Amino acid sequence: MSEESKAIQTYDYGVVKLFSIAAIAYAVVGLLVGVILALELTFPELNGNIPYLSFGRLRPLHTSAVIFAFGGSVLFATSYYVVQRTSQARLFSDFLSKFTFWGWNLIVVSVVITYPLGLTQGKEYAEMIWPIDVFIVLVWVAYFVNFVGTLAKRKEPHIYVANWFFLSFIIVVAMLHIVNNLAIPVNFTDSYPIFSGVQDAMIQWWYAHNAVGFFLTSGFLGIMYYFVPKQAERPVYSYRLSIVHFWSLCFLYIWAGPHHLHYTALPDWASTLGATFSIMLLLPSWGGMINGIMTLSGAWHKLRTDPILRFFIISLSFYGMSTFEGPMMSIKSVNALSHYTDWTVGHVHSGALGWVAMVSFAALYHMIPRLWGTTIHSVKLINLHFWLSTIGVVIYIVAMWIAGIMQGLMWRAYDQYGNLTYSFAETVEAMHPYYLIRTIGGLVFLVGALIMVYNIWMTIANADKRATASV
Amino acid sequence: MADNKEIETTGHKWDDEEGYPLTEYNNPLPKWWLYSYYATIIFAVVYWVLYPAWPTPNGFTKGILGWTQYGQLKEEMEEGQKARKVFEEKLSSLTSQEISQDSQLLQFAISGGKTIFGDNCAPCHGNSGIGSKVGGFPTLVDDDWLFGGTLENITTTIKYGRKGQMPAHLEANGGSFSQAQVSDLTQYALSLSGRASDNAAVTRGDELYHGEASCNSCHGDHGKGSLIGKADGEPIDNSIGAPNLSDAIWLYGSDPATVEASIAKGRTGEMPSWAEDSDRAGRKLNDLAIKQVSIYVHSLGGGQ
Repeated sequence: MSEESKAIQTYDYGVVKLFSIAAIAYAVVGLLVGVILALELTFPELNGNIPYLSFGRLRPLHTSAVIFAFGGSVLFATSYYVVQRTSQARLFSDFLSKFTFWGWNLIVVSVVITYPLGLTQGKEYAEMIWPIDVFIVLVWVAYFVNFVGTLAKRKEPHIYVANWFFLSFIIVVAMLHIVNNLAIPVNFTDSYPIFSGVQDAMIQWWYAHNAVGFFLTSGFLGIMYYFVPKQAERPVYSYRLSIVHFWSLCFLYIWAGPHHLHYTALPDWASTLGATFSIMLLLPSWGGMINGIMTLSGAWHKLRTDPILRFFIISLSFYGMSTFEGPMMSIKSVNALSHYTDWTVGHVHSGALGWVAMVSFAALYHMIPRLWGTTIHSVKLINLHFWLSTIGVVIYIVAMWIAGIMQGLMWRAYDQYGNLTYSFAETVEAMHPYYLIRTIGGLVFLVGALIMVYNIWMTIANADKRATASV
Repeated sequence: MADNKEIETTGHKWDDEEGYPLTEYNNPLPKWWLYSYYATIIFAVVYWVLYPAWPTPNGFTKGILGWTQYGQLKEEMEEGQKARKVFEEKLSSLTSQEISQDSQLLQFAISGGKTIFGDNCAPCHGNSGIGSKVGGFPTLVDDDWLFGGTLENITTTIKYGRKGQMPAHLEANGGSFSQAQVSDLTQYALSLSGRASDNAAVTRGDELYHGEASCNSCHGDHGKGSLIGKADGEPIDNSIGAPNLSDAIWLYGSDPATVEASIAKGRTGEMPSWAEDSDRAGRKLNDLAIKQVSIYVHSLGGGQ
């Protein structure tokens, strides 16, 4: 019996497989809703006056589908895969593994039902109504126990760095979710938050910014720390750097939320702290990029032949770019121009598409053949997917940079008489072509994801055949 | 990997199933990285000294620059106000006639009026006043006016609003005419702009127009509208807003079906009142803003 097949019997790959397939399905759904929304913004009449399809209801469906359904499933899949392999131990509890899978999917389904019906808490990225919030806590605690339990029974003396990042993600997301959703229910679908006014806003953005920090950054850095060295077959560049940037990231990120509330009712001092901690966050964020990219030193030639590695390196480059852009946008004077414009939307998507989605795609391409004990159906199609993703993201963010900075400048333009030069509607009109370009960028990215679906489908469908052929 | 230099790694090893375990080099922190990190910390500390930053038991550290966001807002607002002030004072005290003779003041009023128009009027009348047939929002860029295109007329329209009421004529809609009669009236209305297709119907419609339906009481004997509808081109009543039917400008659309729908079902148009003392709910404009936006609209196509 080969090492590989022995491992397949020892580890719980079933739940990893389920989460991987769910991740791919949710990627397509989330991206498709994104493209529909981009079209609605370009041609508002496309919602057909159907309330369930209106921008306000579909938008949280898009963000939740990509962050929690797609991103969440990727994190479950990879963290369960990585923690088993780096601990030489099966997941702590088969029951908890199954519970987290079906529980998480139940949450996704309830989101898909409630949002279009207009049932929402009205908190960005935390729109779920309170019964869903309570259930999330249950699933999350199960996840935590399952993950830590696996670490506890590990056969390796040390805990691998990827697991630190996964663990920080699980712990901090629990804290954020619970505090931001503290509310008094008034019936089954409605509740009032216990915080009010600017304090509620501050809690909300403390939550939302750290959802970016710990869900979309820490968690995905965990993915990077396992899959990049594995795919490159190279040692991680610097253990020391991983320690320093891990703790710096954890300590600094948690303060940065107020930069979402510059020039509002938030006190000046809180605003300043948010901006300065964001600036100090730049290099700790880059620590992860350096450790990922430098892991390839001595193996750069592999980029020529390995599109999965190329996916990883480009995703790290987008990660580096958006973690530079973010601190810049958190400076008050820059924020005065960028805030409320599509620059923010472009910034989010350079992180979400360029970093999160692309590092996820690469990890799935690495992991899925190993889960099914086979090889990928087509390396050429991975390469095509890589190019479509990269081009799609670039089109998207360049369009949003232009649209956003243009709108910011138009809003503040005064003529020689001291009158505002442009009305709001004129700024919207000026952005129209860039909205169309953004839609095209998103569409290209979606086509890439569909190619991945085909490639993965063929890989899994032919897994048995290929295994037999290779014997 | 043959070139893995075991000696440089931390010695830890994970996940050796595939023949290339995870290992770690222990390279020192890159110098540029470390010094840049220090630089951002220094930046932050300097920022804290200059600006409001840390909460204290009695408030917060104010920063040596004395900066506040409300202070910055006030300063920036004042800058704009200073530029506008000279013009605004003149604008409030002078009559429209006097304003139109001062070209710089006129330019100022138009520049301010354009933005006020864009933020308040454009949702119905379109950017730069092109109007919209959907909903019957008149275009403001031509010389065809329902309630008068002089500066005074326009100001009155904006201040107090206008109502345009075309009654329904078809029996089924509460009118007193049959479908055949409505069709005849439609043919006559189209004939006024030379587009009728049935001469016999035009003759019958003519009779109804000037007789039983008394369309001429608002639209005038020759369909020139309430503003210039009298034989000598004088207004019938410049507060009715009955459109001129003999030109190529149509409020709801010029095709026979739309014209017939207007006659059969009637039309109700409303321009809201924008004066501050209006009892309408929602956003209103002060006198100065109304003056500016009137001058802007007048500059688009007024002059009657």
